[in-house]
Amino acid sequence: MPIVEKSLVTVDRSDRLEMEGIDVSGDWNTFLRSRVQTDLDVRILDWVRSQPQGDTISRCWQCGTCTAGCCLHTDYGLNEFNPRYFIYLAQVGYEEELRKYATTIWRCVSCNKCVERCPKGVKVEEVIHTIGSYLEFTGGAPESPADRFDRAYTENLLRRGVLDEASLFRTYERLEGRTMPAGEMLKMGFQLLRSGRLRTGPLAHRTRGWRQFGNVLREKLKEDERRRRASLSAAGGRGGHSP
Amino acid sequence: MSAGVSRGPTDSVPAYYPGCSLDGLGKAYEVTAQQVLRRLGLSLDRIVDYNCCGATEVKNLSQDVSVALPARNLALARSMGRHQVVAACNGCVYSLARANDAVREPATRGRINATLEEGGAPTYDGEASVQHVLEFIHTRAGPERVRAAVRRPLTGLTVAPYYGCLYTRPKRYTGAGRTPGADDPEHPHFLDELLEACGAKVLTDFSAKTICCGGGHALSDLDVAVAFSASILNEARRAGADLVATICPLGQINIENHLDRIRAAYGEEVLRPVVYFTQLMSLAFGASVAEARLRDNFSRPDLFLRSRGFA
Repeated sequence: MPIVEKSLVTVDRSDRLEMEGIDVSGDWNTFLRSRVQTDLDVRILDWVRSQPQGDTISRCWQCGTCTAGCCLHTDYGLNEFNPRYFIYLAQVGYEEELRKYATTIWRCVSCNKCVERCPKGVKVEEVIHTIGSYLEFTGGAPESPADRFDRAYTENLLRRGVLDEASLFRTYERLEGRTMPAGEMLKMGFQLLRSGRLRTGPLAHRTRGWRQFGNVLREKLKEDERRRRASLSAAGGRGGHSP
Repeated sequence: MSAGVSRGPTDSVPAYYPGCSLDGLGKAYEVTAQQVLRRLGLSLDRIVDYNCCGATEVKNLSQDVSVALPARNLALARSMGRHQVVAACNGCVYSLARANDAVREPATRGRINATLEEGGAPTYDGEASVQHVLEFIHTRAGPERVRAAVRRPLTGLTVAPYYGCLYTRPKRYTGAGRTPGADDPEHPHFLDELLEACGAKVLTDFSAKTICCGGGHALSDLDVAVAFSASILNEARRAGADLVATICPLGQINIENHLDRIRAAYGEEVLRPVVYFTQLMSLAFGASVAEARLRDNFSRPDLFLRSRGFA
């Protein structure tokens, strides 16, 4: 069974599938006109591969095991979330197509089933997140809710070394423009406080010797972000149309 | 590709990494885990000035920070003279094991150690293996000793064992399935065996055993988080479970945090009490419902268990 995109199989064939004015829909009685794709940019692959989280991308041989088990693709039924395809697009450098998934790719929940099952040792989940970072850094995708959460989470833990869950919740909800009804908040707060589970503000956990370590990590974080963005602009930034 | 994760020397008393959850929202897990370990004659030595492991979030921003965070904890365990670290949270097990995988590369280890040194932390030699507390209880005590410790069998309770995603995944990091003392990555069974030893009827074929609860995006992608939590409860209901037993604080909190939304979408009859497995074990070992901190859970297992005659 060849690997086919479900969306292509079920597409309404009354619409011609055209690319650059050439009919490539390949119905039974039509000839497929060959077409040379010129807008591929290998720099996507180079960048993803240069990142420690993305360095296994070139091992992928497109078997689709990751996608067959993917909980978003299969269980949640989000068919357009297709890690195999995302990797393919990054490998061939088809940025224009990849950008169509800008608001989908961030939804990976990091369950790691794909990494577990990949017969080639691709760290699929980390590769997908790296492709997501590429899109974000090159302006191909807006900052996603998950990006905002990752940043809020990291900033929160770097403050004291240990997460302040209540403060993270408040900060993140504010970022998304949501507010929990005061009554609900109080009820939950009381329940947590009563059982000694609310470690926020003055009750927050403290890690001895954290200040120094936290400062070093904060610097590292900034440096890493700078380096990642710089390596993109050094590579020519958003690919576009290389010969 | 690495060929399994070697378990170095074992400690009679391994280091214990609590992580943020067990010191915060997962207090009931921490307290009952300690009760269970004590009753089984096992002990763990707490890493005092631990820090957050970075879970699955930090790695999306910086590889080095995401390795340095868990490496600091592993280094603290090594400076306590330990070769083994036990953690109770799936996310912690994942990121600690991931750090071990990363520092196996000499260049990375050098960089991480420079960071640790600069931050005033001990350096890390890469020699601390990581185990989930469930694996620790199963390998060190096992079903036999658990059975012997039971004072009040959980007879009549049907339990759906929920392991969640990162308990054994991915094997590249955790060594699952090919390392002594590690559970199977596709068909984990340690929890089934321990709860069976406590006298409960365990749904060993529970199909949602290792699905993701959506907890990674508990706040950032509500649709997915609610759908996945609901599917765990739906599946538990279909299989005839009275309770769902969890081994991960994020899973526990994620499901319980979405109870109202699940009720609104699927109806009251889908809801099931959700408990940490150590709460059930503690109950079986003779603790009262209050001592097992079953009132902590938003899904109110205390009410349900009292109705079944557990005081």
